Amino acid sequence: MPDGSFSHPQQRQFNPYTENGGTILAIAGKDFSVIAGDTRQSEGYSIQTRYAPKVFRLTDRAVLAVNGFAADGNMFVKKVQQRLEWYRHAHAKDMPLGAIARLIQTMLYGRRFFPYYVYNILGGIEEDGTGAVYSFDPVGSYEREACRAAGAAQSLVQPFLDNQIYFKNQQAPAGQSHPLHLPLSDVLAIVIDSFTSATERHIEVGDGLEIYVVLTKGRPTQDLEGYRGVKELTTRPDGDRVFLIQRELKKD
Amino acid sequence: MDSFVDQYSKNSATAEIRRAKEMFEEEDGMDAMWGSQAGFATVASGLPKFTIPAVPDPSSFLRLHTDDHADPSCRIKIKHGTTTLAFRYQGGVVVAVDSRATAGSYVASGTVKKVIEINPYLLGTMAGGAADCQYWETYLGIQCRLHELRNRERISVAAASKYLSNLVYSYKGMGLSMGTMICGWDKTGPAVFYVDSDGTRLKGDLFSVGSGSTFAYGVLDQGYRWDLTDEEALELGRRSIYAAGHRDAFSGNTINLYHVKEDGWEFIGNYDVSKMHYEGPNGVGYAYELRVQGKSSANPPPDATEVPAQA
Amino acid sequence: MSIMQHNGGSVIAMVGKDCVAIASDLRLGVQSLSISSNFEKIFPVTERLYVGFPGLATDVTTLREVFRYRVNMYTIKEERAIEPTIFTQLVSSTLYERRFGPYFIEPVIAGLQKTPSGSYEPFIAATDLIGCINFAKDFVVAGTASEKLFGVAEGLWEPGLEPEDLFETISQTLMNAVDRDAFSGWGAIVHVITKDKVITRKLKGRMD
Repeated sequence: MPDGSFSHPQQRQFNPYTENGGTILAIAGKDFSVIAGDTRQSEGYSIQTRYAPKVFRLTDRAVLAVNGFAADGNMFVKKVQQRLEWYRHAHAKDMPLGAIARLIQTMLYGRRFFPYYVYNILGGIEEDGTGAVYSFDPVGSYEREACRAAGAAQSLVQPFLDNQIYFKNQQAPAGQSHPLHLPLSDVLAIVIDSFTSATERHIEVGDGLEIYVVLTKGRPTQDLEGYRGVKELTTRPDGDRVFLIQRELKKD
Repeated sequence: MDSFVDQYSKNSATAEIRRAKEMFEEEDGMDAMWGSQAGFATVASGLPKFTIPAVPDPSSFLRLHTDDHADPSCRIKIKHGTTTLAFRYQGGVVVAVDSRATAGSYVASGTVKKVIEINPYLLGTMAGGAADCQYWETYLGIQCRLHELRNRERISVAAASKYLSNLVYSYKGMGLSMGTMICGWDKTGPAVFYVDSDGTRLKGDLFSVGSGSTFAYGVLDQGYRWDLTDEEALELGRRSIYAAGHRDAFSGNTINLYHVKEDGWEFIGNYDVSKMHYEGPNGVGYAYELRVQGKSSANPPPDATEVPAQA
Repeated sequence: MSIMQHNGGSVIAMVGKDCVAIASDLRLGVQSLSISSNFEKIFPVTERLYVGFPGLATDVTTLREVFRYRVNMYTIKEERAIEPTIFTQLVSSTLYERRFGPYFIEPVIAGLQKTPSGSYEPFIAATDLIGCINFAKDFVVAGTASEKLFGVAEGLWEPGLEPEDLFETISQTLMNAVDRDAFSGWGAIVHVITKDKVITRKLKGRMD
């Protein structure tokens, strides 16, 4: 590292990246998908803002969560939204989720030599009506999964999710097997617990929590009605639906 | 002479391409038109264009920010793939891979698909940078399909691997990281080609790539013969990846096994490495402890009686 | 790679109702190569006090012997068994003696402290590699999988767990956390310390 001494030639260069902290997570259910992110944006030991959303609605069936370097994240989301708008004009329909995932790969890989420092998680409803989560690395490699946590507290949250969603290291009671899909209320409880735990033990996580829930077309919504402050963000009347639940997290 | 004429002609094929390129190049900073470039994607833009940072030495910029062999504390941790192997024998090609991806010491995923299905008769493996392998092997699939359309016959494994190796060679030194094996069965029989991001392209019978490859080679080399039966070959592949998954910290989770036959590839199965350790594929575990039980003085059989030492 | 990650390994201790539990993985490796699946890092100090040493393996062995010597000297001079709080101070000062060339270990201490009324109270503590003590009320973690252990423990732990429940909780925490760490795993061992006995169990874990 350049240290200002005169013993050897040194060069300083503008560092285009920084880390803004925060954590995102997404879980896919049988006919729904939950995508959540905290709202704290920090740099080192300072908090830049207590409310900087990291989860964005792309279409009525796709929600993108971005984490890493906030400037790259926000710009990347705008570019994805722009491409989706072009697609809608060219094809008269919304882009299917699997196609959005591939699009994100090519957009990220287009910057292979000057990467977007963002870890993306795309969640939503696939063409066949099932919930899906796609997670990406900064240069575009992606995989479809059932659940994924990313960001500063990913190593705190992901093992907890492995235990609670995939039932890893747990033996099912005799004669039964673990459920393949969990109900929405269980998933939302796990999401909220994951974020409160991460907030306790990681300084870059806290302040607020935004949870987006995407439901497949025709799925009843009574299990969402019990939650305080649920907002619907759906734009089109008879397709998949997107809801938003906001909660506070510890501010210290 | 022809190329000289081409440059200035108005009606030749190259002129068409040049015009299409100019049409698409007008908009500043746009990597691709909306939609799929109205179907002219590969013709109009040729190779994908990449944004390069405006610094004097772009490849060391990239190395500074992403390469975690040189600097494990760098910010952008690109997921790296690890143990893969492929070998050819009388019954085709066996391809076996693990499924772990690590970012530093964190196991980022245990379900990575490291075999890329280029088309129904060609497989590519992934080791090194996951994104590089995924992206360029998809691109290879496009080129293979174009070859089929232009030449009315299936592409050979040699040609497919050459497309890939020439492509990565044009990015040599810029920081791509890829160690892949292109496997298939063509007119010349089963074939395996190793291609990496330095530009190496090697034809061979048996390869293993990745951080756990040394462990896999140990098992593979002692068990390999040309005239293995299908069962034996699949077992060898599975057992080799198990060995690597067991000993290498950066490999493990599950084994994905594929078999390439004359009419195309077949996915054999996904096996959990830990389950293979304790139970094996057929009830007999691969674990060392299980094989030495009752066979040494450190591990005596349960009913052994102590023999006093003779003076 | 950092020195603390050279050999790998992690330890966790948790407080329950009149009991404590301490658990560790059993891996010994040399960077990515795993060598042994029975490298124990937790050692008994007294009947009701155990200490775990995650970090560089050579220092695990050395510190085990150093503390065995110092605790024996204490026992001879004081004519009584050392208590957890005092042992923790001993660990802290021993590590600080090497302030400018430290042992690459982050000890975790778990035991039952005798109270003036004669009963036993659960006690856990951890220190950093130069002896800064963390007296925790819930759980302490150390090693290559420490962040992962924090995450799962924070999600699963609750106060007042009975010994059997504490065993389940600490086992689930350890197993799931080390499965996400490349340098920990290859089996696990759990000690649950109650006032009458210590139950030690080995766990069958992922061997990759």
